[in-house]
Order: sequence, then C-alpha cells, then structure tokens
Amino acid sequence: MLTPDARHEFAGLENKLSLEKYNYAHFRATHYLLDVLGTITARGVNPGETAPDFELPRVEGGRLRLSELRGKPVLLHFGSIT
Amino acid sequence: MRFIDVFIRQAHPGPGVGAYDNLDQKMRDAELYKRDEAIPWEVVVDDLDGTVHQVYGALADPTYLIDDDGRVAYYNMWTHAPTLHMAVEGLLDQDERGVVRSGRDRTPHFLPAMTMGWRALRRGLPQSLIDIETAGPGTGVGAWLGYRLHPVLAPITQRATPLPAPVKLALAIGAAATLLPLARWAFGRDTRDR
Repeated sequence: MLTPDARHEFAGLENKLSLEKYNYAHFRATHYLLDVLGTITARGVNPGETAPDFELPRVEGGRLRLSELRGKPVLLHFGSIT
Repeated sequence: MRFIDVFIRQAHPGPGVGAYDNLDQKMRDAELYKRDEAIPWEVVVDDLDGTVHQVYGALADPTYLIDDDGRVAYYNMWTHAPTLHMAVEGLLDQDERGVVRSGRDRTPHFLPAMTMGWRALRRGLPQSLIDIETAGPGTGVGAWLGYRLHPVLAPITQRATPLPAPVKLALAIGAAATLLPLARWAFGRDTRDR
C-alpha cells in the first residue's frame, strides 16, 4: 500500500509526463511510464462513482449516449488499431 | 448487457497509421478495427483530443464494468477476459448493482498482450517495432515471438474464463520443472567456472 506522500509524488511525476501530446507521433518510454504510474495512482474513474456520460458517433451509424443505457450492465472497453 | 468499444488514438504509430489529425481518418480506422478484429458489438469513436479516453484515465487497454445505475462496478485497468468474466458473474449475482470484487484490478496482464499484441504492432511496421524496442527492449520482439507461438499459448492466455485450479497447478509445476533445471545448470556452471 502506498503512503499518501508517495502517491502524491507519483501523481506529480505523472502530471509532468502527461504534458506530451495526446496524439503522439512516436511511442516512447514515457508512455510506458505513464501507464505504470497511472496504474499505481489508480488513474481513472473510481469504483462506486458514476461513469462520466458521453455521446459519441457509432461506426454502425448514429450516436450513442452512455446514460441512455441505464437499467442494464455495460462493459466499456477502450481500444486502438495499433 | 451491452458491450461497447471506444476507439482511441494510435498507440503505436507508424507509416500509414500516423497520429490522427482529422476525425474522418479516425472513423475509417474504427471501421477497419471493427472488421479486422471481428468485433461483434458496437464501436464508438472518441474525438481527436481523446476527451472520453482521458476522463476514463487514458490507460492503454482498460475496461470498465458499469452497473444498472450507471456506476462503476469494476475497473479492469489492463483488460483481462477471465478477470472480467468473474466480475460480470459477481455483478449478476448481486442484482446488477454495486461494486464487485473490490472494484478494481491493477494487475498488468502481460501474457494476453504478448500473445496477440503483434496484430496491432505490425500495422505500424517498421516504426512501431523500432519505437517499442527503444522504449522497452525486448517487448516488441517478445510480442512477435508470442504471436508466432500463439497456437500453443492462446488456449491459455486468450481464454474468456479462468483456468480451472488443477490446470493452474499443473502449469505451475510444469513451469517449475522446466525452469529449475535451467537455473541449476546456470548456477552450477558459475560454480564450476570458479
């Protein structure tokens, strides 16, 4: 278990590294490190919190709004072609 | 239950699969992703800035299980089908509401990526391989080797459900039986050299 101080240090380092562009031209060690730090600091939406709503275009046509799916479980995966 | 894939940035860019600078290209690649990976469920496309991906943590390959009330029931930080399978079963067992299995799995599940990750990397060759080998020596070549061995490895690493406990035990014993003689040979050689 990390101490709050250690978690704060990791989060600070993570913030400095994440200044790189979202759409990067080259995969670098920084991206590995950001994933490791993100795992340690549990970056993302915490269990028990409301999943942030979004509305995005569907490949199959039309748009999808997450909040309209309430009433049944949803498995939400994030994927890349590379 | 609804399965949704959010299509994100290029993780390992290369010639022909460069960083996105327009949404049309991203939409076309998302169609290719759905077709080539034979994804049977819906695929939605994040905006160019990755707004949704970033709000959800921007990790490389995460999956969230969301309950009937729209709350996060489980966060699989490195997608792993058998772990998700258990989380889904847990959620169904508690009327599809609430946090399951402590809510989060941080384990970096490398073996599935090492077995099938080459399929993604090879789309950006040669730059994707050069970049990943520079960032983490051995990881790109390891992905290539894992993919070459996937007929043998996939039944273990690509399972949708957890391995039965006796099979896990047998694999552990097999790995130990393979590695221990190797270690003995390596250390024994050091002793002999002295």
